[in-house]
Amino acid sequence: MSGASWGRHGLKECLSLLIVVMLGGCAAKIPESALRLPESTLDVRSIQTRMLEAPSETDILAATIAVLQDMEFNIERIEKPLGVITASKVTDADSASEKFGLILLDLFFGGNNYSTAQDDQHITLTMVVLPSLSRSGEYRVRITIQRVIYDKMDRIKVLERIDDAETYQRVFDNLRRSLFIQVGEK
Amino acid sequence: MSRLIQLLALLAALVLAGCATSPANVAGSGTQLEMRQIQTRQYDTLDKSMTLRSVIATLQDLGFTIDQADADLGTVTATRLHEYTMRMTVTVVERDGQRISVRANARIDEDPVTDAATYQDFFVVLDKAMFLTLHKVD
Repeated sequence: MSGASWGRHGLKECLSLLIVVMLGGCAAKIPESALRLPESTLDVRSIQTRMLEAPSETDILAATIAVLQDMEFNIERIEKPLGVITASKVTDADSASEKFGLILLDLFFGGNNYSTAQDDQHITLTMVVLPSLSRSGEYRVRITIQRVIYDKMDRIKVLERIDDAETYQRVFDNLRRSLFIQVGEK
Repeated sequence: MSRLIQLLALLAALVLAGCATSPANVAGSGTQLEMRQIQTRQYDTLDKSMTLRSVIATLQDLGFTIDQADADLGTVTATRLHEYTMRMTVTVVERDGQRISVRANARIDEDPVTDAATYQDFFVVLDKAMFLTLHKVD
């Protein structure tokens, strides 16, 4: 291949690459199903939701706040009329075990167990506690948890919603115990 | 050959200009009235609290975590972290003492969501939640 023809060939490749960059690089990417219910909706909803009995709304909200404090979360916002409690915490994240074992340990025992940990894990948890619409004396509690893991350079490494049943079950177990203590103390 | 180089330079300029840092886009883009229509749905109810409850349930079903909610102002802000970051603000306002107006805004990463179909999808889910809430189904 002569130098001239290679040059022309190379230029054409460059040109195609530029066109691709131009068309793809700046385009807004809106996924088609961004706001459609996924098939797993019902499963996820049942994992995240429990109906709990409590003497009053104040009791269940107080027990909820106490359980979040037990799990070392900071309460960020409470909107009582809508039953929304938002809490968060930052823990260490071990890059070797990024999935559920880690989130469980960090949720329940804080991040101090991981002396070898390298990354920061920002966990956000929202509880929505509302009186049942169909049964008095019962409250519908739905928890959602998500997390972002940042590496040492503060770059986002993992961005995810927590969907595993065991994590939620343990939070609800703690909440039941907290509610029991709350009612017993009165 | 020289024509190719010229074309290349032109394309490079376009690419660089297209992605250049633009002035702070505070006012947003798109026509105000058109976007309001796409983002708004009216409901024949006066129960603002139940509407807000449905909005929160809808956002949770769609995988969002509620960041902030205000019953007086009728505002709910939520974030979903899943492959990308999606943020939504939904406002619930009473109109003419006859109906409730729900407006939703969404952003994916740094881009505003402007297509009608995505908002239509949101309101389809909200319609179902409204029906269940108003019929007292948990």
